[in-house]
Amino acid sequence: MAKETITVLNSYLSFSLGEEVFAANVGKVLNILEMTKITEVPKAPDYMKGVINLRGTVLPVVDTRIKFGMTPTEYTTNTCIVVMEVEMEGENIQVGALVDSVKAVLEIEDSEIKPPPSIGSKYKSEFINGMVKVDDKFIMLLDMEKVFSSDEIISLKEKTNESEEKVELKEPKKTTNK
Amino acid sequence: MDKFRNKFKEEATDNINDLEDALLLIENETENKELVERIFRAMHSLKGGGAMFGFSQLSEFTHNLENLYHLVREGKLKITRKLLDITLASVDHMKVLLTDEDFDNPEIKAKHVNLSLQITKLLDSETEEDGRTDLFDQKDSNKIKSYYIYFEPNQDVFNDGTNPLFLLDELNSLGDCKVFAHFNKIPEIEKIDVTKCYTYWEILLATEENVNSISDVFIFIEDQCELEIIEIVDYDITLNKKIIEEISKLAEERKDVGVIEIQKIVKKYSEKTDSSEKIEKIVSKSGSLPSVKENVISSIRVSSNKLDQLMNLVSELVTTQARLSLYAEQSGQPDLAAIAENVQKLSRQLRDNAFDIVLVPIETMLTRFQRLVRDLSKELNKSVVFTAEGAETELDKTIIESLTDPLLHILRNCIDHGIESAENRKKLNKPEQGKILLKAFYSGANVHIQIHDDGAGMNLEKIRAKAIQKEIINKDTILSKKETLDLVFLPGFSTVENVTGVSGRGVGMDVVKRKLAEIRGEVELDSELNVGTTLTIKLPLTLSIIDGLLVKIAHNHYLMPLSAVNKIYATDHSNVINKYNNLIILDGKQFPFYYLREEFDLSEGNQAIEQVIIVSYEDQQIGLVVDEVIGEYQAVLKSLGKMYKKQEIISGATILGDGTVALVLDTNKIISQFSQVKINL
Repeated sequence: MAKETITVLNSYLSFSLGEEVFAANVGKVLNILEMTKITEVPKAPDYMKGVINLRGTVLPVVDTRIKFGMTPTEYTTNTCIVVMEVEMEGENIQVGALVDSVKAVLEIEDSEIKPPPSIGSKYKSEFINGMVKVDDKFIMLLDMEKVFSSDEIISLKEKTNESEEKVELKEPKKTTNK
Repeated sequence: MDKFRNKFKEEATDNINDLEDALLLIENETENKELVERIFRAMHSLKGGGAMFGFSQLSEFTHNLENLYHLVREGKLKITRKLLDITLASVDHMKVLLTDEDFDNPEIKAKHVNLSLQITKLLDSETEEDGRTDLFDQKDSNKIKSYYIYFEPNQDVFNDGTNPLFLLDELNSLGDCKVFAHFNKIPEIEKIDVTKCYTYWEILLATEENVNSISDVFIFIEDQCELEIIEIVDYDITLNKKIIEEISKLAEERKDVGVIEIQKIVKKYSEKTDSSEKIEKIVSKSGSLPSVKENVISSIRVSSNKLDQLMNLVSELVTTQARLSLYAEQSGQPDLAAIAENVQKLSRQLRDNAFDIVLVPIETMLTRFQRLVRDLSKELNKSVVFTAEGAETELDKTIIESLTDPLLHILRNCIDHGIESAENRKKLNKPEQGKILLKAFYSGANVHIQIHDDGAGMNLEKIRAKAIQKEIINKDTILSKKETLDLVFLPGFSTVENVTGVSGRGVGMDVVKRKLAEIRGEVELDSELNVGTTLTIKLPLTLSIIDGLLVKIAHNHYLMPLSAVNKIYATDHSNVINKYNNLIILDGKQFPFYYLREEFDLSEGNQAIEQVIIVSYEDQQIGLVVDEVIGEYQAVLKSLGKMYKKQEIISGATILGDGTVALVLDTNKIISQFSQVKINL
């Protein structure tokens, strides 16, 4: 019951990754933690940063930047771990997302949300629920469920996509010329 | 209401299990009165509870069954195989009724009707022979009760066209009925108004129906009459002529007898009759009552969620306590150290207690096994007896839960492939009845469960031939007996040519092995052709706590299960670096080793002296090189969760005294995984 009322809330927590600002529905957010020591898990995918002790339970932490194809997070005083509850294979699990900084809680009406861009986006639109314009800046509303439940293959693809983009700057011209 | 219904379902499941258990026991001791009582009690609570919480089908169904066992209790019906078959089938059906109350599935409905018919058939055949001659025989039938009914209609009851006599007729149809009519309110003849009713009645009714159905008879004139329905005794008093005579005498003498007077008479007569049966009943009652009471006191039901929560809290306490001890030691205050020590002692006791709570005896699984053996051996026309030793051996409830399916599978194999048919057994000079023995016992920090059958055993040649045919091994491969037997644990390996409904589909032992591995269990197989097969399962006592060796690599802590660790050697860094063959010589012996710092892709930098931990892997000794050994550590094991399920080399994590997380390494997986990588390279 309580959960239902939370999920229909129109509040979003915004956070930044590099230059970009993203937001997730607060219904998914349980906690915001300061950066603590993360225990690395050997032989895990890069974006799986490790585990931390969250009041007696072991919480997996995802480096959201790597997940979105950016460079690994550099730890600053603003670095935070956002603890979220997401559904994965029919089970609710908690996961920590490493973000560069947490910004604010925004009230966003459904009517303000614009559909995600289909072309020209660096990010796969399936992870994005919509865009919203706040202070002349676009914020991407993330579908956290999809972000975390996608396994490494998809994120690797994104990574290669991005690296391809860099390559594409030079190479496509060659191919089109041919 | 749903909450209560769920509660009832839980209770009912317990009752049904208890019932099944008792039924299986009674098969061998048909004369055991206590068991009959137990069966009866279970049925009775099922019936009562079912009716109360709206499981009317279940209640009705059980009621019929209960009638059957009522006859058994009275010694009028012998426990026969047929009776047990029907009852067991009914028990299965009850389980279905609990979940599928409305017969969504037509098959279930057909089954329901069929079973009910069988039961009534059995019941009828018995009750016909059973003449109700004995005066006090009905005393034992606690479903028949005697009621006193006082019925005085209003004088103008006829105005609605009601005929009170019809009501009396209806009452009569409910059971044995004695009616005493009272005419003393009829006025003198000249004052009589023929449209009015002056008569009133006192009725003694012996019936199986309850008060509600009796008052239903009067439902239409409820507000036009004075009505009193009182239960007098729980047997049929209309059959006791003396009581009836006395009451009717009184009824003639007086205006009305009244319930108090009747009860007095009934009491008087039942006291006089000190028949041996009655004494027996009292004895059996006093015998059974305390045991019920004991049950109530000696155990309570707790939802497993709460237990899990308790375990979590205890684990957290243990972790916090480790922190306190650490802090107390650092602070150097003697007072604090004393407190910390006390807390440590208490939390250890609490931990042991809590772990003890979640331990469940293996006994809880046995009923299912017994049932399986019984049903299956019948189906396959084999005679098999199943015995269990050490059923009191306790295991973590989560282990028990995941253990049942593999064990059922193993038993199925035993009966299907292991035990031979009676003729074959005769030829081999074996007793016709096959034996399956389940033996459970403690061995160190492990529990061993052995399943032994005295059946055909495994044919090593056949296994070998099959393995060659399936191209699992080469023709020239030489395998030891153990290695050959281990082949059956490979996926898709089944030597039985025909796929039966029971087993032999090739998804057999490999699944068993995998399932057991999930709970850190190991299987071993030993078999002698024509003598029998023994399967040994080794299980950890509990899944949630392990003794480990705490080690450090770079800035990370890791834990290795202490049971895997054999020896620790210190060695110079130069001995382990840049070795192509990955071999190290320690104590004059050669050990293959893995340099974990490198394998885990940890940052550069190393200690001058490093530690080689020798662990056993299958039959070999293998070294794992770490930076530093910190010491023994009792760890509360926590799962890494879904997101890390692919990291098989890590079996979990634990939280250290300073709040950091240490990963628990699965040394077997590490070695098997890394050795594969090496080969691929």
